[in-house]
Amino acid sequence: MLIHLKGGHIVDPVNGRDETGDLWIENDRIVAAPPGKLADEVHDVSGKTVMAGAIDIHSHIAGGNVNCARLLLPEKHQNWLPNPVALPFSTAKWSTFETGTIYASMGFTTVIEPAIVPHQALQAHLELSDIPIIDKGMLTVLGNDDFLLSLLRDGEGPAAVADYVASAVAASNGLGVKCINAGGATAFKYNARTFSLDDVVPFYDLTSRQIVEALQRAVEDLKIPHPLHLHANNLGIPGNVATALATIEAARGERLHFAHLQFYSYGAEGGHGFSSAAAELAAAVNAAPNVTIDVGQVMFRQTVTVSADVLRQFNGSEMASPKKSVIHDGDGDGGGIVPYFYRENDFANAVQWACGLELFMLIDDPWRIFFTTDHPNGAPFTTYPEIFALIMSRDARAEATARLPQEAVAMTTLPSIAREYNLNEIAIMTRAAPAKLLGLKDRGHLGEGGLADIAVYSPGKDLAKMFRFAHLVFKDGDLVVRDGRGTHYRWGNALKVNPGYDKAIDRRLAGYYDHHFGNSRDLFTVKEHLLPRADAFREVACAR
Amino acid sequence: MKPLVFTLKQEPDQRLDLAPLVPHLLDGQSAKEIAEIELQTTRERATVGDTFKIRPGSAESIRFEGGSTRLDNIGKDMKAGEIVVEGDCGKSFGRSLSGGNLVLTGECGPFAGSAMSGGRLEIAGDAGDFLGAPLEGEMEGMTGGLMIVRGNAGERVGDRLRRGTIVIEGSAGDYPGSRMIAGTLIVLGECGTLPGYLMRRGTIVLANPPELAPTFVDCGLHELAFAKVFSGLLRPESRAAARLLSRPLARFAGDMAALGKGEIFFPA
Repeated sequence: MLIHLKGGHIVDPVNGRDETGDLWIENDRIVAAPPGKLADEVHDVSGKTVMAGAIDIHSHIAGGNVNCARLLLPEKHQNWLPNPVALPFSTAKWSTFETGTIYASMGFTTVIEPAIVPHQALQAHLELSDIPIIDKGMLTVLGNDDFLLSLLRDGEGPAAVADYVASAVAASNGLGVKCINAGGATAFKYNARTFSLDDVVPFYDLTSRQIVEALQRAVEDLKIPHPLHLHANNLGIPGNVATALATIEAARGERLHFAHLQFYSYGAEGGHGFSSAAAELAAAVNAAPNVTIDVGQVMFRQTVTVSADVLRQFNGSEMASPKKSVIHDGDGDGGGIVPYFYRENDFANAVQWACGLELFMLIDDPWRIFFTTDHPNGAPFTTYPEIFALIMSRDARAEATARLPQEAVAMTTLPSIAREYNLNEIAIMTRAAPAKLLGLKDRGHLGEGGLADIAVYSPGKDLAKMFRFAHLVFKDGDLVVRDGRGTHYRWGNALKVNPGYDKAIDRRLAGYYDHHFGNSRDLFTVKEHLLPRADAFREVACAR
Repeated sequence: MKPLVFTLKQEPDQRLDLAPLVPHLLDGQSAKEIAEIELQTTRERATVGDTFKIRPGSAESIRFEGGSTRLDNIGKDMKAGEIVVEGDCGKSFGRSLSGGNLVLTGECGPFAGSAMSGGRLEIAGDAGDFLGAPLEGEMEGMTGGLMIVRGNAGERVGDRLRRGTIVIEGSAGDYPGSRMIAGTLIVLGECGTLPGYLMRRGTIVLANPPELAPTFVDCGLHELAFAKVFSGLLRPESRAAARLLSRPLARFAGDMAALGKGEIFFPA
């Protein structure tokens, strides 16, 4: 099947294209214009913007905590269906079908679930495999698990740690490694209620810093393309910018991905003891080329915070709105589900909102800042189009800022910022850079041989509308969205890495599981035949 | 003032969603415009004109002549005015009703008066299960208004009732007033098993109570001044309910398995 996209405005920073031109698709790939051949399908996209399919690197779309949140909040998915619906189940609230359909209709074709502990990996992959249209992947959470902490306590070398990390990633079919409040969840079980970078995990005699360093080194040794994805200590606490700055410093020039940085950009200035330190933090990120970050933008509405940072969620549970929450322990991280309502007239929430936008505006390099809301923690991913409008239009920001408590705005630098993202920067931040960060060479660009994941938008005054309802979306060369509505379901792959390691560690792990739990470790490995569709996975090479 | 009349031509081939046919949505529309409104729930198109003969009149008062159990969502989201249905209807009759008067002469399916917040809803025949109840996922059922069923009602009547009054002159199925948050439920006929199952607050009055769950506590016999006042208020709507409330009543408090601030009354 040969498809011709004719006369669109092609925005492809990887290949330096920002011009009117054509694009050809043959089967699932982008190809050069084939001389003398007639296209089976021609789409006139003149006046439209053509980009690669967007990639979301951090969105909680599957796993035990997400399901726990669904159970806790039945009112967020009422049994109500408009008649007749275009695609079956696509309007079932907070379902896998809705997730796939809405992401696709916004032009997103790859989404990464960033926090799955190995013991929940099978359920997570079953759930991911039920999300239609898009490709997905997940990061394996390590850093509070007894086996790893015991290895470090007993002074076993980096080789043993790397073998264990590789084995855990391979068994859970992860695309990389995530670390959540390293050691904090374990310390919480020993009644710690605060935990910072240099605090010691009781019983293991390790600091958070040591755990992060060890994991960072293991990821580098294994040549996993995605750097260690770190959820740092002290999330959401006034004055926590000090922790963030120390954590960036602690990376020692090595690659590090700092997740949802907005939640770490708080000072403790002013009458409320809460202020924005985003400008200072952005300057530190600009000066540290080894660090990438994603924002975790807050938007004003009801949402639910879902995190394996059980210490943070426990402390936040009294702010639950509606008043209910779940805090649970488990090996590794456990988790916490705390519903939360971000309010426009709330001083702290207004500062948080501004902090995120300051980070967007003040971090110069679009290759190192990623577009996220930490869905659903800062806001549901359905707010992405509004955020695109805010970062692309100074007027939209001014209008939104005017509605906030002005004493909160005074604690930020937002009103002084004039920057507006252009389409090329948007394409870098949401396409090219995520592909590079995750090691996905086949996507994020529109060059020949690339995967035909393509989003075509109708530019207009209403930027939010432009990004909410893509004109056309192709996934693997298959037209899946037309005028913002899904046309049919197809099934994407889960992306994973398969780092090589010394298999001796698997025998040790088998003994460990047998000794402690009386269970086979295999109980927790994700075997491809357990997933409902053939070719569930697509492997991403471990090399740099 | 002449009512707007819809006469059913024949039993429809598919379930129809009649939510658009309420006074505030039809106000100011011509008969021709109304005839164009789509009601289908499948890919097969079905308009008002295909289904009903329309006799123009004031949209404030709507009559359906002839009913069918395939007609869903009649009076959904109605805010004011009147709808009278001469015949039967399907599910979700008067769902989210917030004002006005909604009357059904025949029978209806499940979820009648589901999550209604005001107004008056009267069903002359029998009602299905989940009368006044929330849909899956919703936290509250009926939150206000008055609902009267002259016939029998199905199971889980008044599930998660939050405010307002439900009177059932016939019998109720199992679990009437389950998970009640507040409000009043009166059943004059027989009543199924476990009334007030997991109720937190609110009042259930039963003319013929079954054996109550052990989580309801006997509080003795009462002659309540409030019951007399309420009886007077109910007299114009249901003489039998008014009579029941004017008798001496035994009071049981529960459900102690939940908050336990609710009560079940029955004549001693």
